[in-house]
Formats: sequence, structure tokens, C-alpha cells
Amino acid sequence: MANRTVSDAKNIHGTNPQYLLEKIIRSRIYESLYWKEDCFGLTAESLIDKADQLPCIGGQYGNQKPTEFLCLTLKLLQLQPEKEIIIDFIRNEDSKYLRALGAFYFRLIGDSLEIYKYLEPLLYDFRKLRRRLPDGAYDIIHMDEFIDSLLRDERVCDTILPRILKRQVLEDNEELEPRVSFLEDELEQEALAAAKKEKKDRSRSRSS
Amino acid sequence: IKEEKGTSVDINMVDDTDKPDDKEEYELWKLRELKRIKRDKEEREAKILEEEEIERRRNMTDAEIQREKEKDQSKKAKKTKYT
Repeated sequence: MANRTVSDAKNIHGTNPQYLLEKIIRSRIYESLYWKEDCFGLTAESLIDKADQLPCIGGQYGNQKPTEFLCLTLKLLQLQPEKEIIIDFIRNEDSKYLRALGAFYFRLIGDSLEIYKYLEPLLYDFRKLRRRLPDGAYDIIHMDEFIDSLLRDERVCDTILPRILKRQVLEDNEELEPRVSFLEDELEQEALAAAKKEKKDRSRSRSS
Repeated sequence: IKEEKGTSVDINMVDDTDKPDDKEEYELWKLRELKRIKRDKEEREAKILEEEEIERRRNMTDAEIQREKEKDQSKKAKKTKYT
């Protein structure tokens, strides 16, 4: 009963949203203690606190136990909150784990264009995230690395990500502007300044 | 469990707190971002090259294509000769 998708949920990618996680992982989540104790009766609102308290991101670890991160992802798939709510999750500045969760969920349910639109700005976020590795140990990954892998890899956090169009295809169709990192602007400015300085130095050495 | 550099089984050993205005982290991020920019640029260039190659082949006559094919094959044969 508690594991059912809400009745008015729309199909995502032609299927029940919960099926975006593989069956085996889903059943492991349903059996996990965190799911039973902490995720029961959560709403999109009460989930925010839970996401904020996440200790780490990651897929499965140890004896193929799902992380809390995956449990909350499944909960989101079950509840299917409105897109605006998820976008707020992604845009929030205070809680990085809420942002990571929102981004991961959005990557699962969004369409290509939106995914680039909302996730790419996070490439500027270099905060640290703790990640749980398959052997149970933790390490550090940065938000921008996590987002980059969401945009490019096929599998993140032991989850197969739905296919999205390549950025280049969207650019060719003129649906998306080429991404210009603000770092590129900065570099150009630096190069300009350096060139100017060199010119100045040269003219000075000539005059002396 | 073997512990590598930067990983730990103890959650308290892996610190995920961010310092405000952390110069070092910013520099590291800059490096990663530059790598991404470079990678994307290379991909774009590779695609352009590929398209040019396709265009070139399209404009060739059958005889020219045949000649090129033979050339490639003889090149390959030369390579395998000494291995």
C-alpha cells in the first residue's frame, strides 16, 4: 500500500515513474530500514528536511544496501511533486544535498532541454558532497562533478539514467544556445589585459 | 576494507563542510571547469571534422573512392607486414 505510486501520477518516459529505478533496487529499498522508518508518510514538504539531513549521496553499498539518497529518490518518484517544487529544490542555495537530490530526480524525469537548462548552472557550484562508495567507504565529490556526470554518463548512483539528446543536437536544432562558461569570458579578459600590458612594456623598452 | 587516499569507512573522517571564500577549492574548480570546456571544444571540433570528411567523400566519384580505398588497404597491409 505505502509503496504504491500516487494515483494521479503521470507516466514518465512511458512508464510508472517508480520503474525508473530497477526492480531489484526498488525491492531492496522497500525492505530497507530507512525506507520503513523514515520515509513512511513523507510529503513533498516534509521530505525537504530529510533531504537536508542526508549524510551522503550514492547508490548501493556494502551488501547492496541502498543509500538514503536512493530511498528519497524513490519517494520523490512515488509522490511526483510538481515540477516547480523540484526546480526550487535545485535552485536552493542553502542545502546542497537537497540540491543534489533535486538534480538527480530531475535528470530522471525531465526532458533533455529542461535538464540542460536547469542543471548546467549548477556546474558553477563547487561545494563538497560526501559520496558513499560501493564498498561502504566515503569520499568527496564536488557538486559540479556530480552534475557533469549526470549530464554525460549513462549510469550514476547505480541507476540507469534515461537517454537525453546530446547538447550538440539541441544546439544544431537551435533549441539551445552554446554554453559559455563565465570562466571563458574571464580568460578572454585576462588574455586581453596581458596583451595590452605586453604592448605597453614593449613601447616603454623601445623609448628607453 | 582497504582505505585509499581521501576515502574512509568512518563517516566523520570525510569532511564535507565548505569554507566560505575557499580560494583553494575555487582554483580546483577552475581547473575542472577548464577541462570540461576543453573537452567540449574538442568534441565539437571532432564532429566538424567528421562532417567535412563525409562531405568530401560525397563529392567524390566512384573511381576516386575506389582509389582511396586501395590506398588505405595498402597502407594497412604495410603495417601488418612487420607485426
